Amino acid sequence: MAGVSSPRVDRAKVGDCDLEIVRGGSGRAILFLHGFHPLAPDARFLERLATAGAVLAPSHPGFGGSPRPGDFETVYDLVHLYRAFIDGLPDDKVTLVGASFGGWLAAEIAVSCSRRLDRLVLVDALGIKLGDRETADILDIFNTHPNTVRRRSWHDPERNAPDFDALPDEALTRHARDRDALCLYGWEPYMYNPRLARWLGHIAVPTLVLWGERDRIVAPGYGRGYAALIPGARFELIEGAGHHPEIERPDALAVRILDFLAR
Amino acid sequence: MDAWWQCEVPYPYVEKGVLDSAEAVRASLPNRWCDPRVAANLFAETIDEYLLCDDLGVNIGVTEHHAGINSLIGSNPMMVGILARQTRKARILSLGTLISLRREPVRVAEEYATADVISHGRLEIGFVKSGGSEFASANANPVGNVERYWEAIDLIGKALTHQDGPFSWEGKHFTHRHVNIWPRPWQERIRMWAATGDPHTAAEVGRRGMVHTLVLRGIDGTRRAYAAYRAARAEAGMPPVASDHFAYSAFVHVGDTDAEGQAGGEKQLWFLNTSLKTGPQMAHLMPGVAPPRIAGPGWRTRPNGAADAPSLVNAEKGVASAERNAAKLTSITVEQAMAQGIMFAGNPNSVVAQVERFHEAVGGFGHLTMVGRTGFMTHAESEKSIRLFGKEVLPRLKEIAPVMPEAVG
Repeated sequence: MAGVSSPRVDRAKVGDCDLEIVRGGSGRAILFLHGFHPLAPDARFLERLATAGAVLAPSHPGFGGSPRPGDFETVYDLVHLYRAFIDGLPDDKVTLVGASFGGWLAAEIAVSCSRRLDRLVLVDALGIKLGDRETADILDIFNTHPNTVRRRSWHDPERNAPDFDALPDEALTRHARDRDALCLYGWEPYMYNPRLARWLGHIAVPTLVLWGERDRIVAPGYGRGYAALIPGARFELIEGAGHHPEIERPDALAVRILDFLAR
Repeated sequence: MDAWWQCEVPYPYVEKGVLDSAEAVRASLPNRWCDPRVAANLFAETIDEYLLCDDLGVNIGVTEHHAGINSLIGSNPMMVGILARQTRKARILSLGTLISLRREPVRVAEEYATADVISHGRLEIGFVKSGGSEFASANANPVGNVERYWEAIDLIGKALTHQDGPFSWEGKHFTHRHVNIWPRPWQERIRMWAATGDPHTAAEVGRRGMVHTLVLRGIDGTRRAYAAYRAARAEAGMPPVASDHFAYSAFVHVGDTDAEGQAGGEKQLWFLNTSLKTGPQMAHLMPGVAPPRIAGPGWRTRPNGAADAPSLVNAEKGVASAERNAAKLTSITVEQAMAQGIMFAGNPNSVVAQVERFHEAVGGFGHLTMVGRTGFMTHAESEKSIRLFGKEVLPRLKEIAPVMPEAVG
């Protein structure tokens, strides 16, 4: 992996899973787990992360260019996949960064194998239930009108939300395929594991929780609650960002993470 | 040919302004707009219409839809149970419990077995794949729906026929360690139906030898689906089946004159032009409704050439993978509906001729499942149509013998 600089698309094999993976940079391993959609290989955020280490950004099975094995359909499968992936890395320790849905995966992985991690970063992470039974913590992106989802996802939708009319068929196909996979993994309970919050106290690795100040998919208050359940975790807001700071404020987000990794 | 009448118990009495300004008339419209007194009256009238069918020798069918103005029958087995007791002769087709939305297929089997016993063996069971806003209403994952559908059917089928004490089911979607339903059904084998237009599912329906019904699919779609059924049987080395394994569902309204029949048909179009309205997230943008290659371009808000436009339409469930196709159905006229074979309307002679023409065009079918009263049609209008159908149309349709199978090439 050493010597790779600007991020590029590659493949990785984990058991019977053939993953599309963006690799870039060199040094300490930084595993980035994406949210609702994989990041583009030329995403500014990955480029910035790659200045601090060897970035590994796989597309989850069913997302992007990663096929989904037929019997692979729960978050349990994803968590075990990435644990096996981490076990297969030559590095003693791995830095784990997860955003949104990928933040859920990162939290699950950190609960079960903190010893292989040196740092954990959660960005607008899903995965736990905090509110009462009649208050949904996380906006239902499947049952809500796409215009509402768009408005609540972005600090500045006009500038940052994807323009579907401008995308080629291939990109739209990937978009629809990502949503199928996300729906399969996250439909019910909707985007959380009822057991996870109970175990967050077992995360024994320095943790930074970052949140888009204007995230209205899952509000900053949820992020504060999340951080409070992880021993010693810090919580910080990213200004000018909604649910996807890695796209809306890639530099601001990367600066916070790089600073955290340098400590 | 046999005929089956159904009414979905729609609730059209919501102010137009409310419907026009609502994002959807299914799943999300607040139920404060549904007056239970009005609903009670609708149920009473509908059940009376079913009893009239029973008197006239017309079989009956009951559908299920959730949380919308298109239908108040959210609980199919409950309505089936009422009709099992209230009717005396008619065969009762449940078409059906939306089985992939129910968490406990064994419970559904119990409900069906009970209705079959109460009716002294007059139950037929149809399965519908569901779609669109029904997934939201039932909290059911739209991805993997078809797989769940077949597993539920397998489990219900076994629960209804197994007589040797508890059996265990540890499937992918359902687990139930101690299945042993009482009462067992009156019939040794309850005939099973499935409603589907997609060739993939139609093929499986064929391999299982179920009665295959198409809902508002028109000549081409129906022919294609029947062909997929027959081809799948041939490929599996199974014997061909006669046309009594095929059914077709259309709007039917009979009047003394063509004008009166078609005026009823006009009222039935409410189903298409008003009751299908739903948000895109519960139609063509819902995960799993179409392969990504087809669903993807649906995210465009402006059309981008015709070549890549999605073409899946499912009128029954309001699932259309293109706004364009949905618009086609919602703005359809009586003349267009009749020309497409999704409506048979007019005087008794005309209705017989239209059904015969369609029957001929699709290579035969053994059951006409009629969408009867809907929209603002009155109880009196509906009863008149049922009477004319039962007395003047049905006897002539009964003369249409099953078409014997042809060899599949």
